Amino acid sequence: MLLLLSTVLAYADIKNVTTEQVKIAGSCAQCKEGIETAAFEKNISRAIWDKETKVATISYDTKKTSLDAILKKIALAGYDNKRYLAPDNAYAKLGECCRYERIGKNDLAVQKEMTGHDHNTASKESEEKVISADPDPLKPVLDAYYEVKDALVSSDGNAAAAKATNLVKALKAVKMDELGSDQHMVWMKVMKDLNFDAEHIEETKDLGHQRDHFSSLSENMYKLIKSAKPTQPIYYQHCPMAKEGKGANWLSQVSAIKNPYYGAQMLNCGKTTKTLK
Amino acid sequence: MDFPQIPILKATRTTAFLLLLSMQVYGQKVVRYNLYVKDTTVNFTGTPKRAIAVNGQIPMPTLTFTEGDTAEIYVHNELNEETSLHWHGLFLPNKYDGVPNLTQMPIKPHTTHLYRFPIIQHGTHWYHSHTELQEQIGMYGSMILNKKKEPAIPTVPIVLSEWTDMNPKNVHRMLHNASDWFAIKKGATQSYSEAVGHGYFKTKVGNEWKRMTAMDVSDVYYDRFLINGKNESQLSQFKPGDQVRLRISNGGASTYFWLTYAGGKMTVVANDGNDVEPVEVDRLIIAVSETYDVIITIPATTAGSPPVSYEFLATSEDRTKSASLYLGEGVRQLASPLPRLKYFEGMKMMNGMMKMNGDLDDMGMNMSLNQMDMNVVMYPEITEALKSKKKRTGKAMDMGDMKMDDLEKADGNQHAGHNMYNSNAMSSITTLNYAMLKSPVSTSLAKDAPVKELRFVLTGNMNRYVWSLDNKVISECDKILIKKGENVRMVIYNNSMMRHPMHLHGHDFRVLNGHGANAPMKNIIDIMPMETDTLEFAATESGDWFFHCHILYHMMSGMGAVFSYENSPANPEIPNPRLAQRKLFADDREFHFMAENDIATNGNDGEAMLQNTRWSIGSEWRLGYNDHHGYEVETHLGRYIGKMQWLMPFIGFDWRYRKMEMDEVETNLFGQRNTKDQRSVFSAGVNYVLPMLVTAQAEIFTDGNLRFQLERMDIPVSRRLRMNLMVNTDKEYMAALRYIFTRYVGATAHYDSDMGFGVGLTLNY
Repeated sequence: MLLLLSTVLAYADIKNVTTEQVKIAGSCAQCKEGIETAAFEKNISRAIWDKETKVATISYDTKKTSLDAILKKIALAGYDNKRYLAPDNAYAKLGECCRYERIGKNDLAVQKEMTGHDHNTASKESEEKVISADPDPLKPVLDAYYEVKDALVSSDGNAAAAKATNLVKALKAVKMDELGSDQHMVWMKVMKDLNFDAEHIEETKDLGHQRDHFSSLSENMYKLIKSAKPTQPIYYQHCPMAKEGKGANWLSQVSAIKNPYYGAQMLNCGKTTKTLK
Repeated sequence: MDFPQIPILKATRTTAFLLLLSMQVYGQKVVRYNLYVKDTTVNFTGTPKRAIAVNGQIPMPTLTFTEGDTAEIYVHNELNEETSLHWHGLFLPNKYDGVPNLTQMPIKPHTTHLYRFPIIQHGTHWYHSHTELQEQIGMYGSMILNKKKEPAIPTVPIVLSEWTDMNPKNVHRMLHNASDWFAIKKGATQSYSEAVGHGYFKTKVGNEWKRMTAMDVSDVYYDRFLINGKNESQLSQFKPGDQVRLRISNGGASTYFWLTYAGGKMTVVANDGNDVEPVEVDRLIIAVSETYDVIITIPATTAGSPPVSYEFLATSEDRTKSASLYLGEGVRQLASPLPRLKYFEGMKMMNGMMKMNGDLDDMGMNMSLNQMDMNVVMYPEITEALKSKKKRTGKAMDMGDMKMDDLEKADGNQHAGHNMYNSNAMSSITTLNYAMLKSPVSTSLAKDAPVKELRFVLTGNMNRYVWSLDNKVISECDKILIKKGENVRMVIYNNSMMRHPMHLHGHDFRVLNGHGANAPMKNIIDIMPMETDTLEFAATESGDWFFHCHILYHMMSGMGAVFSYENSPANPEIPNPRLAQRKLFADDREFHFMAENDIATNGNDGEAMLQNTRWSIGSEWRLGYNDHHGYEVETHLGRYIGKMQWLMPFIGFDWRYRKMEMDEVETNLFGQRNTKDQRSVFSAGVNYVLPMLVTAQAEIFTDGNLRFQLERMDIPVSRRLRMNLMVNTDKEYMAALRYIFTRYVGATAHYDSDMGFGVGLTLNY
């Protein structure tokens, strides 16, 4: 009853009012806020979204706006609905808890993943195969390293920290007895430093700090990797401007330059100095 | 298709009928269209407004021909005013080019005019009225010239345009009077309080110090943007997996559009009606009057999943609004809207580029072909990552914040110099630029032909809305003579603050862009501030061809020139060349009127002005409500001097009456007695605009009195609040605050040394 009353009061200021119920994708309280904010326009429209049923009750002034216009605004805020699908980057900006499963977008999303990050999927596949055929004990370390690098390329401190967690795990999981003798020697020398840098990247979300550690991490990774023949080509790349002009290096799985030290600011700054294969 | 096609069908039927008839007579295909130009009323915003429709539709009907046809287009002018139609990008006999008073006389009201020319090319083109501002209110349409054998892929002609509820003549007048109403509507005032709020106070002061007002990427506020006459529409006939070729023309009068597509990358296959090597991009900007052919793919879905349609989004360059076309059927996948511009970053960039004398300084970056886009500093989608990083890394080298003097030092460093404004290097978003266009065939000109080199500087003055070539408007410059058989090379440098889409009639030019013999052919080139582009074309025609900026309001202000072939035969469509020329020149010689009056508690003051490119006649009045407050009227006739028009010598007439108390004597700072109580004197003087946009005025009157005055009008305090300050050697001073309610109405509070404090209602036109 109280709810009803409050609803009536809330709608009192909208004229020529029509109310419709529409299913809108979402998953948590944060979504509720996002959807209702997107739909709200003073004296013109408002929505109340139910987390359980995923149904929004949308009330609006039929002379001033339309359901279509409101649903478009909701989609632009990141929430798929029956008329509009959110732009991919609007969805990507949603909070962690709010990444609802996208219906009707799934196939697409998977497809994009395939084309967008083919090196990841490819390397994972080969990883599985490799394990049975010719095990490279450093493969998981390198893959985890690449993920940290990619996070830094997109200047995403949160992701870099998360990926560094995987790197720390991968470093711990390396079975030393599987390493070749040369590589074993190098491993013993750099292992501590690798762990140190990886843990520091994990602990902070500050990009500057992460990049400082990433530079020494990369030096040691290079020493380690070049001591044995890699299964896939590895590009050792250099940006002369990084670290305030001192320059810094990194390893990459692709030859094209995507600079982890500046991200979007100078994405293409740098060159490949060595190719390991 | 979603847009009206009935008239097209009708026209095709007529065509078919005529075709039968003409086949026997000529043995070639004559395609005939009848176009009825008529006043109409449209309602894009909820308010009915006047527009012009052709065959009852906006945009005008799509005209389709095949290479080898002969076009026969009957234009029936049912308006009560003159009109004309120009076939944009077409090679045709000069007399059918459709420029009134240059290649033909205007089509008089209630008469019919025939355009008849062979179709000797293919590609996506368009047509529009070349008379006054008619293009703004509906007179634009697609013109598709098919190859004899077109590739089998579904094709959709698309015309982009914009709509304003204001009468375009009023838009033009307001632009000339430096009204900032459009900026208020766009939320782009860039006032001091906004500057302070965003931490850009120094930037704003620097901007005014260099005598610039608020910066923007476009001049006019529009109510709606349209794709084929609609803000939103859907083409549901397309299925997942389909490829569709969009043949896009920008028929907007002054709007550049960003084109993006929700279904992935777009493949550009032609530009200005000429094929190019396919190039994949995430987005492109289409300049006013350019055309692009773009192939898009409706992404395939797996079996069982519901169908999805994909948004093709055209966003105005100022990013105020957009228009959408959904391709396919089903739930609509939206494209990411472009975030609003960061104007103060743009202002900072302009400050760095602007020299004190009003010239632009490119810091030796040799910009060309849209490769480096200075506006990139304003695009959050490219530069936002930089900003957030700036806060975190603190001392790390930061391009965005780099002082301009540091740039030269950094110039030795390849990375800085090259990447600073290169959006493709700065982000993973691929934006088309002219250097990426490559003709699939050699476009080399005859090697043995004599070469004529022409150099143009695009010049302009935003404050007074004067746009010109080499500081001369159309009516001030002689025709540029060229000879049939020579190769004409044009080197164009843009020294103005706006970008200009320069269009040459009747010819395609090669854009020298590093692809050697495969330089792309175009008839429009967008030149951004500080860019230099080199173009060349073979002079193969005869007659007079217009070369002008295609932003309608820039063209009407005089930004253009006429290329004239030496020894051309007289044009039978121009019986009286002198009269035609006078009428042609009338466009940029036009005077624009403005007036303002403040009805206040302490008096009534205001001004009225008539101005054109060089001349200004203005009158200011202050009328008290009693004899003690006095009455005065000052009239000045002046001429603006120089490119920036900061200097204006003038002659004037001053009339005052004020009743003074006995023994009350006023003197000025020079000890000269004032005769305010009853005087009518002539004067001569000079105005000069100082840094901070302060107008200094020195004036000597026939009674020997001298007056020196400093005045600053319209200081943008906040979005809608303006301040005026004035002081002079007659010991007069004034301060006023004005709040802008609507386009024509405001409220003022002011203090005046003669009339005291007052508040009032301001009306301006």
